[in-house]
Amino acid sequence: MLKRMSYSSFPEDVLEHVFSFVQSDKDRNAISLVCKSWFEIERWCRRRIFVGNCYAVSPRMVIRRFPDVRSVELKGKPHFADFNLVPEGWGGHVYPWIYAMATGYPCLEEIRLKRMVVTDETLELIAKSFKNFKVLVLSSCEGFSTHGLAAIAANCRNLRELDLRESEVEDLSGNWLSHFPDTCTSLVALNIACLGSEVSFSALERMVGRSPNLRTLRLNRAVPLDKLANLLRRAPQLVELGTGAYSSDLRPEVLSNLAGAFSGCKELKGMSGFWDVVPAYLPAIYPVCSGLTSLNLSYASVQSPDLIKLVSQCLNLQRLWILDYIEDSGLEALAASCKDLQELRVFPSEPFGVEPNVSLTEQGLVCVSEGCPKLESVLYFCRRFSNDALVTIARNRPNMIRFRLCIIEPQTPDYLTHQPLDTGFGAIVEHCKDLRRLSLSGLLTDRVFEYIGTYAKKLEMLSVAFAGETDLGLHHVLSGCESLRKLEIRDCPFGDKALLANAAKLETMRSLWMSSCSVSLEACKLLGQKMPRLNVEVIDERGPLDSMPESFPVEKLYIYRSVAGPRFDMPGFVWNMDEDSALRLS
Amino acid sequence: MGKDDDGDGAHSCSSSIDSSNNPPADADHHPFLSSSCCGCGVGVEKRSSSSSSSSSSSSSSSRDLSTDLRLGLSISPISHVSSTSTQSRLELMNWPPLKAVLRSRVAGKVENVCLFVKVYMEGIPIGRKLDLFAHQGYNALITTLSHMFAATILCPDHVTAGVYHCSKHHNVHVLTYEDKEGDWMMVGDVPWEMFLTTVKRLKITRADRC
Repeated sequence: MLKRMSYSSFPEDVLEHVFSFVQSDKDRNAISLVCKSWFEIERWCRRRIFVGNCYAVSPRMVIRRFPDVRSVELKGKPHFADFNLVPEGWGGHVYPWIYAMATGYPCLEEIRLKRMVVTDETLELIAKSFKNFKVLVLSSCEGFSTHGLAAIAANCRNLRELDLRESEVEDLSGNWLSHFPDTCTSLVALNIACLGSEVSFSALERMVGRSPNLRTLRLNRAVPLDKLANLLRRAPQLVELGTGAYSSDLRPEVLSNLAGAFSGCKELKGMSGFWDVVPAYLPAIYPVCSGLTSLNLSYASVQSPDLIKLVSQCLNLQRLWILDYIEDSGLEALAASCKDLQELRVFPSEPFGVEPNVSLTEQGLVCVSEGCPKLESVLYFCRRFSNDALVTIARNRPNMIRFRLCIIEPQTPDYLTHQPLDTGFGAIVEHCKDLRRLSLSGLLTDRVFEYIGTYAKKLEMLSVAFAGETDLGLHHVLSGCESLRKLEIRDCPFGDKALLANAAKLETMRSLWMSSCSVSLEACKLLGQKMPRLNVEVIDERGPLDSMPESFPVEKLYIYRSVAGPRFDMPGFVWNMDEDSALRLS
Repeated sequence: MGKDDDGDGAHSCSSSIDSSNNPPADADHHPFLSSSCCGCGVGVEKRSSSSSSSSSSSSSSSRDLSTDLRLGLSISPISHVSSTSTQSRLELMNWPPLKAVLRSRVAGKVENVCLFVKVYMEGIPIGRKLDLFAHQGYNALITTLSHMFAATILCPDHVTAGVYHCSKHHNVHVLTYEDKEGDWMMVGDVPWEMFLTTVKRLKITRADRC
């Protein structure tokens, strides 16, 4: 039908103009599939690209198809790298990309990287290659030092955003900040929260003073509280603030000075930081509480009564990250006062302790699910749960999109009935029709995976640990979850059968991670041979694979689709199971 | 409220895992073992039976052990080591799934900040010390001090009235503090938070002397 329409009536530049209003990657991809001429027009006017796995495509291929890109977002290591499951040296190097883009995209303005290895050399290359460079976001990246940052500061004259999120930076000196020239006044966001050492405070103060557009400033722990008021007075336009250490010698003038500075910040919507917080100073932020929509207290070791005082003043809160010191009573207060809450994350203050150190149970989350009608995203660590509570939460919040529950002790059953939590999680996937992300924990049999395969039709990412009984569990998920893109599994008895039976499914997904499961080396080889568009990588630090029996379960397995073929930067403990290497090994 | 349930749950679980013959370090290196340990019906039955019948003996023995370790933590280096290894069983498994920033915050965490001040009671030459941050407000502070010095200390709200009414009783006291300027003030006039920012030390004074 579409073919009969005449596209030639639209001049190319009109179509290009129309396409420029289409922002989502998915829609742009759909446009490019309409016909050859749309494909051509679309590829020339694509300005932003997102690559969810840096090994799924080569930089050369991307540059050839999209010749005029201004903004690139890349992701490297598997998500489980966040939890220490990916060995050091695995890969995820961004240098080949930057090297190719330095000549391919001289007009590149924005680079956003996640879980990638970024060297100082790479940062220097960025600094000197892109003349109009504006945005550098390094999220959970590693491999670089403050020397590299100095190069960015010194050379990127139009820099708007420098965001180091949760990166691991080798902190050689706090002096890098003074490499920003006095002429640099374009900064909109600066996030240095992950840095360990003291930054040059006078350089920071000057920088803040000459940046009229600064909206986001996230300081590191080394910035003392008594410096904060000065910074705030220079930047009353701030929208997001990450404090440094939130403690100081107890002096009354610090408190009043700070409270005065905060009351000048009328635009403030997000706050984080609060390292080493002294609760006595928290009243200083009371003047801005009613404007806050986002509050990250996950570094703030504050006990429940003080948290309750604070949280119950933040009536417009949409997102709260907090330690379990909030306890059930605090979550009850939250449910009563924060009616706009959309996202709640509760982290454990003593995750490795044997005994609970706080009174945080399933009750707290049940309360919030009752009191906060907009709640759609949950990450909750606690020590006990029940099917009843899960069912209640599912019924209360069918609008849930992300539900991640971590019961700290693996394979903990329902504490009331001692039954597996299958029906509880089953209720979550049954009632929450739009669920996109789910993390399971507690005692679970294959039955929960049957529920997931049957109901979770929009699920895109699933994390599983210490669950299931047989291959059937994995089979239910792979055969049932139509929208699944990322699946990560650890310590589950899933093996060859389910994997081989659903090999084709893997090509529709971005990646599958399995560690400490029951997949044999033989099955991995078979999969690699059968599916040439999949990179099947075995990660095994125990020694060379050819010394192991075929039936031996591999330590870790990472499978992803790729149009680029096997990667070139595999360290010694990673083996690609493509046909050639399979031959070499056997 | 639910704390006891929690405790029991944790005990039954840890006891069932302790009794299995797969130490976590091994489980990490031998997927065979680890997969067989989380296997199917057997695991379920074992677990549920151990938790439902969590006999007083097994549960109390694990309680004794953990109490032991906790007490030992600050005393002898040997039990410190063993307690660390118990606590890091989960840590070795890289579980629960926490980002490094949160893990390290937890690992290097300084227990809650303290604000110790000296307390003297009139007529007693030896002073005491107490952590003001361990108290939620004036009432909690007064309660602690009353126990500490076995004295009747008037609550701030009642001080003014109390001074007149009780001035004849010698055992009634009021709490005063020295502020940063070196002035001696009656406790309770300013909000608790502000008090914390100015107090240098405390003195318990006989009410009839005020």
